[in-house]
Amino acid sequence: MQIDFKFLFKIMKNAKNILWALPLFSILFFTSCEKEDPFVPNEEELITTLIYTLTPVGGGTAVEFRFQDLDGDGGTAPVITSGTLAANTSYTGILTLLNEAVSPAESISDEIAAEAEDHQFFFSTTHFTFIDGSIAYEDEDANGFPIGLLTTFAVGSVTHISLTIVLRHEPNKAALGVSIGGIDNAGGETDIEVEFDIPVQ
Amino acid sequence: MKLLTFFLFPLFLFPLTSGAQNCTLSIKGNVADEGTGIPMAYGTIYVEEMKTGVASDSLGNFQLNGLCKGEYHLRFNHIGCETKTLFLSLSKDTVININMHHHSELVDEVMVHDHHSQHETAASSTISQETISEVANKDLSEMLEQMTGVSSIKSGAGVSKPVVHGLSGNRVAILNNGIAQSGQQWGNDHAPEIDPYVAEHISVVKGAGALAYPGGSLGGVVLIEPDEIENDPHLHGNVNYIFQTNGLGHTLNARLQKYDKWAAWRISATTKVIGDRSAPNYYLTNTSKREYNVAAQLVKHISSKWEMKLYYSLFNTEIAILRGSHIGNLTDLEEAIDRDVPFFTDEKFSYTVNEPRQAVQHHLLKLESNHIFNEHQSLNLKYGGQIDNRKEFDVRRLDRSNLPALSLLQWDQYLEGVYKHFFERGKQLKTGIQLRLTDNTNSAETGILPLIPDYRAYRAGAFVIFQEEQNKLLYELGARYDLNYLQVVAISTSLPREIERHYHTFHNYSASAGVRYKVLPQFKLNLNLGHVLRSPEVNELYSAGLHQGVSGIEEGNRSLKNEQSTKAVLSADWNVKQKLFVQLLGYFQYIGNFIYLQPEDEFRLTIRGAFPLFTYQQTNATIGGLDALVSYEPIESIKLVAKYSFLQGDDVSNSQPLVYMPSNNLFGSLSYSFKDGERMKNSSISINGKYVFKQTHLNANQDIAPAPEGYFLLGASIGTTFKIKNTKLRCSIAGDNLLNTVYRDYMNRQRYFSDDLGWNVSVRLNFEF
Repeated sequence: MQIDFKFLFKIMKNAKNILWALPLFSILFFTSCEKEDPFVPNEEELITTLIYTLTPVGGGTAVEFRFQDLDGDGGTAPVITSGTLAANTSYTGILTLLNEAVSPAESISDEIAAEAEDHQFFFSTTHFTFIDGSIAYEDEDANGFPIGLLTTFAVGSVTHISLTIVLRHEPNKAALGVSIGGIDNAGGETDIEVEFDIPVQ
Repeated sequence: MKLLTFFLFPLFLFPLTSGAQNCTLSIKGNVADEGTGIPMAYGTIYVEEMKTGVASDSLGNFQLNGLCKGEYHLRFNHIGCETKTLFLSLSKDTVININMHHHSELVDEVMVHDHHSQHETAASSTISQETISEVANKDLSEMLEQMTGVSSIKSGAGVSKPVVHGLSGNRVAILNNGIAQSGQQWGNDHAPEIDPYVAEHISVVKGAGALAYPGGSLGGVVLIEPDEIENDPHLHGNVNYIFQTNGLGHTLNARLQKYDKWAAWRISATTKVIGDRSAPNYYLTNTSKREYNVAAQLVKHISSKWEMKLYYSLFNTEIAILRGSHIGNLTDLEEAIDRDVPFFTDEKFSYTVNEPRQAVQHHLLKLESNHIFNEHQSLNLKYGGQIDNRKEFDVRRLDRSNLPALSLLQWDQYLEGVYKHFFERGKQLKTGIQLRLTDNTNSAETGILPLIPDYRAYRAGAFVIFQEEQNKLLYELGARYDLNYLQVVAISTSLPREIERHYHTFHNYSASAGVRYKVLPQFKLNLNLGHVLRSPEVNELYSAGLHQGVSGIEEGNRSLKNEQSTKAVLSADWNVKQKLFVQLLGYFQYIGNFIYLQPEDEFRLTIRGAFPLFTYQQTNATIGGLDALVSYEPIESIKLVAKYSFLQGDDVSNSQPLVYMPSNNLFGSLSYSFKDGERMKNSSISINGKYVFKQTHLNANQDIAPAPEGYFLLGASIGTTFKIKNTKLRCSIAGDNLLNTVYRDYMNRQRYFSDDLGWNVSVRLNFEF
């Protein structure tokens, strides 16, 4: 484009007209190109899936409890699958955490194991007393405090259990009652809090 | 006040008869009160070079004789007034009329006394440079709290935002150096990226008539204005240091300025290092802060009618956020509310900035041209460029704490042209065009889906303001139009992740009318009416995701319409025999389609548990209030000040109160000024108290924790200025919350987690040369 200096000079000379030069600027301004596409972040830290696998201690068919929310917070609602447990039976529990938003899926439980000192799972149940059974930690971190990736779940004579699994990041593991599974003094922040409704037969 | 001096300098300095011999020259003049024009007796006028001075007589007149041809620094003093300096190149007998800044408390409050708003009908308040440097270890917003009707919304000790007449964030425009601050205004935990030291004065325009500023400022406009560089060919500067006991903080600022032949320049640099703050009974672990700022200002007078200004500033901060306020879900939040001492409270003090933390960098470049064509016409052109880089770091697994959880890069280009035409008989026309382009990009390094999508906002505005002044009456009429075009590029929240493009166009029309009427010289009335539209911002339209701080899922609403605000402000100023000053300001605002976050009766299940859902909705709201100020001086050395702010906000469609409206508060101070001594000047001692009422205009179901109780804070200060040759050393000590009151404030979002700050003593040294 040929710049018309004469014209520019003319409008510059007249004070009032300088203001009218601004719309010209605005044309330049408003014709800038479309905003480029954002990069979709690689959500490597997301926990999409929690699987609690309970295998009867004496052997038998494993029961799987799954909480899966592939798109993270918001979006579509999570899918929860539950199984049935047998009364008066002890189970070996293994917790698996996955990030299935990335491909291939990443194991978050490995990350937890690598930072065991900064993590602890807490299990709480309703309709569940010491007479009816208990959940015990079967693993520990470098300081001898429990983690909770590996547990023993002893089911008593009940008909129904509501199980809540909580993962705390940076809890105070040395606080009173925390090492035996008490969450009240643990502090830290919650990374996971899921609830399963479990029928017992 | 230096600004005023500068302003008066060309106006009142005119030579008399010529032909005087060497060392027989004289300076004659009159000292008067700036606010009332009443002559001031017994003021002192001191010539630094001669080391002599005279006093003004009962009519405020003074005369200095036997001066040689040459350059002089004059200093004007009067009890209870701010000292004023003037540089003068004397070659002829000269007459100077000096307006002293008397009763600084009140004058500070009412910008109408300042030359800036001699021609304004909108009510506004100002704080001066002296006050700014006394409290510059605080945040900008905390400084503004001194004004009635202005408060802060805080997210802990280091993060605060101004609230003007109950409105904040997107609804309050902040103009730094005439350029609208462009950062992440939407977040309550995003403090304005401005170093208060660069300001000569900071003012808040409370009225609705701020049409000359970029649109959407329903609440008010905060103006941060730098000092003009005094016409003094010598190198001047000052060094400021403040130590504070709470947080063992150090604040250091140095400024240098000179009016050279080639150009006038000033540079300013600030460093702030503050450690963990403490509540009355425990440390607020991880509340330290760092700040490194520089600013440079250059003014070139190309001709007597053309002036160019260049300004650059860099603001750099790192703020630690209370560790105990970092929570994962609603259970954590409820647990935190029930605790007396927050989780993660350490018994040791530390300067370390740990996660969670914010790191913000803000660049501002301004180029301005002022062109006076003739006595009737002038044109001002401005360009402003800004880059804002905000990173927020969370406590994350593995080494990811080094990766920001939020990383936003925003750039903003601003172009403005304002044309002024002065007609005969006090008529004035001001018109302008403003163009602004803002681009906001999330960095993918976070590994987290962004809460606010990428966007580009194009804004074009035009305004016209007409004003006429006749003897007692000043009236103003204005209109404004803004076109906002928004381009949003979002990532879908469902799988597979897809790019969604959305476009919005908004038209905003604003109009205002104002009248100032001087009923008597000592009684003045201001009335201002305004209708302003604000288009929804990107966070209100497109927020998507979990807001950790409030443990809720926030969802934008793409069908939001413009907010329509109508505000009336009526203010009255009395001045009774220079002893009693009363200022009352009442306001009422109706906002149609007021955008707010509505808690829905729905919980969203996530792997971290169920979170309450909040969506952006619109309602009709009203905000009304009263700001009152009384200042009384029974004798010249004693001053009593009382301030009161009352505010009530209602959602009229749903018949419920508005949330996060500031509580009513009462402030009182008593100060005593000592007579100036040989060496010690401007010595004063003062005591003050502030009572903040409990926010009772709130329903129990509107908050997860009840509003905190009312509280009283006691403060005191003492200060003096030592004069050593041509330099000044000001020393002062100030204490806040001296009773170490345990309190929580309704407007501080950290009240869910911890008590507010305990006692603090600041020691300040200011060396001026």
